[in-house]
Amino acid sequence: MRLGYYPGCSLEGISAEYDESIRALFAHLEITMEDLPDWICCGTLAAPSLSRLLGLATPLWNVAQAEKAGYEKVIAPCSACLYHFKHATNVVMENPPLRAEVEAVLELPLNSPPPTIHPLELLSDDGFEALIRGSVKRDLSDLKAVCYYGCHISRPAKLMQFDDPENPQSMDRLLNWVGIQTLDWPRKVDCCGAHFSMIKPDYVVDMCQHLFESALEAGAEAIIVGCPMCHANLDTRQEAIAAKLGHALNMPVLYFSQVLGYAFGLPDKELGFKRHIVDPLPLLKCLKSPLPTLVTSGTSHFPHSTL
Amino acid sequence: MAFRDEIQTLSGQNVNLCFQCSKCSSGCPLADKMDLKPAQVIHSIRLGRADSVLNSQSIWLCVDCETCTSRCPQGVEPASAMSAARVLALQKGIKPSVKVIGIYYRGFVDNMRLNGKIHDASVAGITQLLTGQLIADLPLAMKLLVRGRVKPPPLPLGGGRFRKIYRNALAREKESRA
Ligand code: SF4
Ligand code: SF4
Repeated sequence: MRLGYYPGCSLEGISAEYDESIRALFAHLEITMEDLPDWICCGTLAAPSLSRLLGLATPLWNVAQAEKAGYEKVIAPCSACLYHFKHATNVVMENPPLRAEVEAVLELPLNSPPPTIHPLELLSDDGFEALIRGSVKRDLSDLKAVCYYGCHISRPAKLMQFDDPENPQSMDRLLNWVGIQTLDWPRKVDCCGAHFSMIKPDYVVDMCQHLFESALEAGAEAIIVGCPMCHANLDTRQEAIAAKLGHALNMPVLYFSQVLGYAFGLPDKELGFKRHIVDPLPLLKCLKSPLPTLVTSGTSHFPHSTL
Repeated sequence: MAFRDEIQTLSGQNVNLCFQCSKCSSGCPLADKMDLKPAQVIHSIRLGRADSVLNSQSIWLCVDCETCTSRCPQGVEPASAMSAARVLALQKGIKPSVKVIGIYYRGFVDNMRLNGKIHDASVAGITQLLTGQLIADLPLAMKLLVRGRVKPPPLPLGGGRFRKIYRNALAREKESRA
């Protein structure tokens, strides 16, 4: 299967470590992706707020490039890009006059646009279980973490058609495969405030405060995410949240791709840990690793620490 | 065209399906900051109250988390209606009632016109400069800079693709409204 890769703007800027760790992880698992040629920004909520046609045509430029390149699927690690690709494709392909209009704007045809998926959708497929379990080199069974999915990995359900919109499990499953017993918590699909970090930072601090309170209550020492905006908000706003909580926070926020890469023994440098505001390495380094005895299959091969 | 029909044309949403269960308002993470709650926005559209909807803060405070759309038992997409209301407000010359958000969306698209992709640090910096937030976030910006998460702005060479789409889309919309 030929896969296109659409990093999106955040992964070329503030979220470089997500891009680095995704590429390192995919290379390690020998999954080949090609960078989408001539891609542009998806337009997020800005383009569709100024003009409906612009809001639809902008993400579809990229989808049309993917169709032209002959990819079967496009991987989009940013859940906002993912949502806008899927939303625009869905709206336009169901409405022939609108489709003609968008094709005229793009000066490109849209005949059978390939679907866009989140990397979690690819990796959490059962077909990868044996490979992922068999690639584990470090014992992370002591890591106490919650998975945070945020908005668009599975929402709105009708459009995304992936995982459970209220209680998603795909990231938990993946992390279980590498030996991490993720904790359950009630806020895995609450909104972090997304781009409001730049315009209404006080709202984002409020919204993320609820997330941290709930993660702490569940006993988490880290939050694992799959979206650059979730990461940016949770990683960069902890000082202000700590001031409101009245105690220090310092909770590492990791991408699932970094955690998987770390479990597979990839070098820290390839996973971009040094880019975080809250350094995750002290936590990761105090987990017992590497594996005492190398195991390649089975579910309960990590004895829990008695500490 | 009646206001309700304008929203429907832009968003495909038939607000007459709404039976006011308020599930959308209950789950909205911004509802406590909104002047009209999402269910009230939908009901106001239904009643044709264009002024109160298009001048509301709610349509700009919607962060598009899609909780409302995902949960509506009637298949209404309040998030899409909010988006249509923002477009309609601008078409009618109504200034965004949450000024900073209007500035941000405009600045974002203007940045895309330079290079097709956005340069996140410029968009953030310019927005924060224009909205008086820059000083507060400078220490954070410095921390991101030393960690290699602030890239230098690229030369504005790759914007041609997006500028064409921008020109074509706006010209067509203008034509169809004329
Ligand atoms: S959830 Fe749907 S039906 Fe219920 S009030 Fe909101 S729009 Fe109306
Ligand atoms: S999409 Fe907008 S209106 Fe709907 S729940 Fe989210 S913020 Fe509220």
